[in-house]
Amino acid sequence: MVAAATESYSDRMGPGRQGTTAVLDSLVPGTHLCAFHRDDDEQTRVAATFIGQGLSDGDQLMYVGTDDQVHALLRALPDEVDARSALAVGQLLVTSFADAYGTRRPGDLTTVADGFRAAAELSRTRGFAGLRVAAQMDGLVPLLGSSEEVVRWERMSTGLQREIGVSSVCLYDASRLDEELLDLLAGEHSGFSPQVSPTPQARFLALEHPWGLRISGEVDLANRELLRRMLLARGAVLPQLHVDLTGLAFADVGSVSILRSVAAELPDDGWLVLSGVPDGVRRILAVTGLGHERLRFAS
Amino acid sequence: MTTATGATHTSVFYDGSRQYAAEVGGYLRDGLARGRRGLVMAPPRRVDELRATLGRDADEVTFVEDTIAYEPQWNAYRVLRDFAATAGGARSCVVAEQRLAERIPAEVVDYGRLEAAAGVVFADFDVDLLCPYDAGTLPPHLLDIGLHAHAVVRSNGESLPNSRFEDPFDVLAGLSVVSPPPPEATSIDCSAPTDVAQARRLVRARGAEAGLRPDVVSDITLAVSEVLTNSIMHGESPTLLHLYTEGDTWVCHVHDGGRAPLDPLVGLLPPAEPSDHGYGLWLARQLCTAVDVGTDRSGTHVRLHMRMPRADHTP
Repeated sequence: MVAAATESYSDRMGPGRQGTTAVLDSLVPGTHLCAFHRDDDEQTRVAATFIGQGLSDGDQLMYVGTDDQVHALLRALPDEVDARSALAVGQLLVTSFADAYGTRRPGDLTTVADGFRAAAELSRTRGFAGLRVAAQMDGLVPLLGSSEEVVRWERMSTGLQREIGVSSVCLYDASRLDEELLDLLAGEHSGFSPQVSPTPQARFLALEHPWGLRISGEVDLANRELLRRMLLARGAVLPQLHVDLTGLAFADVGSVSILRSVAAELPDDGWLVLSGVPDGVRRILAVTGLGHERLRFAS
Repeated sequence: MTTATGATHTSVFYDGSRQYAAEVGGYLRDGLARGRRGLVMAPPRRVDELRATLGRDADEVTFVEDTIAYEPQWNAYRVLRDFAATAGGARSCVVAEQRLAERIPAEVVDYGRLEAAAGVVFADFDVDLLCPYDAGTLPPHLLDIGLHAHAVVRSNGESLPNSRFEDPFDVLAGLSVVSPPPPEATSIDCSAPTDVAQARRLVRARGAEAGLRPDVVSDITLAVSEVLTNSIMHGESPTLLHLYTEGDTWVCHVHDGGRAPLDPLVGLLPPAEPSDHGYGLWLARQLCTAVDVGTDRSGTHVRLHMRMPRADHTP
């Protein structure tokens, strides 16, 4: 069902259109995706898949939707993502369309663009390596007044997001827009955001008290750069970092080496303390001697 | 402080405890008298004999039994390196011997590499390394390792040039002949970074089926992961993983398309300074029973051996 729904829209794009389904676990920062849903369940699945992946990758996520959509999202996110904790530490932000985009037609799109830039900057100051946005866009046509303006807006967004490295998915209710506009909208995005995605190999989730992050799953060549960028982003805000490894099932030498090199480059009053250290990580540290005075074990 | 002169690598062939005590005990006593630090890696019985013959001098010597120093065999390099690292400018005299007769064939091949490379790997270390061989009991093919790997041979307390010494790089080249995977091997393609997690799942499942202990499965899983990572990052596509049993060992065989010959000394020691890379083969040798590395027209092959439980009855 899910694949068929995606294909029907992709097929309609025809050759040369940007109608492919994105692979979320290797999304380049700044990718502008869309999704056209036919009902609330599809809308929730797309949002939860995009947001679940983004949170797992350690980014900050902003969800723009109604209260009902937010509640549905929180129920749909997998337990491992811990949506409640993500909300509490500010890794997941939820907002209404009106608060995000305003209630009156903006005089100048650059004003809105400046708002996006500020949000991305704020994300960094809150200790996140990146910001991703999932936004229910049904309010955009009424807000901007015409299909042409919506397309113009989306085109500007593509450039802006690429520039500031913010990925997003624009969620459109297919039943409320005509085929022609859906085609145009698909053409202004880099691809479709999927309704399902493979379980991430690891999850890097923010912690606030104590400051740092927790890692679950397996970290290796495929995903260890996510670890580095998140450690650097957290460390840039507060260089006393707690890293909870309780759920870590595997880490390779390169991953342990990242823990060490980030710890080594913290300022003198900084440290990186590991808790829940699995035997495998202890084994690597023992055999390689990759210790550092600022890389510590929780007592 | 003694002037640095680099390493010496010497063998001594003894027959019986009396000769062992005289040759090896004399060597250590000599070294201690000249202000050198002493390290002995040896079977428990030899440790006892040395303690008895050295008397109070034994207190100055660090003893590590072979069950620790050579478990796995390449750990001996680590023990030696760590000991030398704390020397503070003094020379070290080191005795290195294990119960070679109890080693399985894959380990004996690896021991040949370990002995051939020692003089080169530790060339810049201020160590005098003495390797005693039990000529009274060891079969000829094991004594041969000792006969050809040392530049110096010691006899009746005298050190003489070894006329049977062979170029270490020739020996290492001879011991790097590639064995292709057998037809019954389980093989998967691991050319993409995301394939490494898949490979670990397979190794965990098959390792447990092969009867390996959980901690041994963890070690081989890590070793496979590191060697695959090396292949994906530095080798040439495709990278394949073959799993099979061979004699006494369960083998995880990583094969990539890279045909450039590898430096035979790569990964025998870890990087001198903490580094983001360069630990793969070092770590594999510290975790596995034996590690074969070789390159031929079919590409680069790294074979990681784990001793099977039925052969795992070392006292």
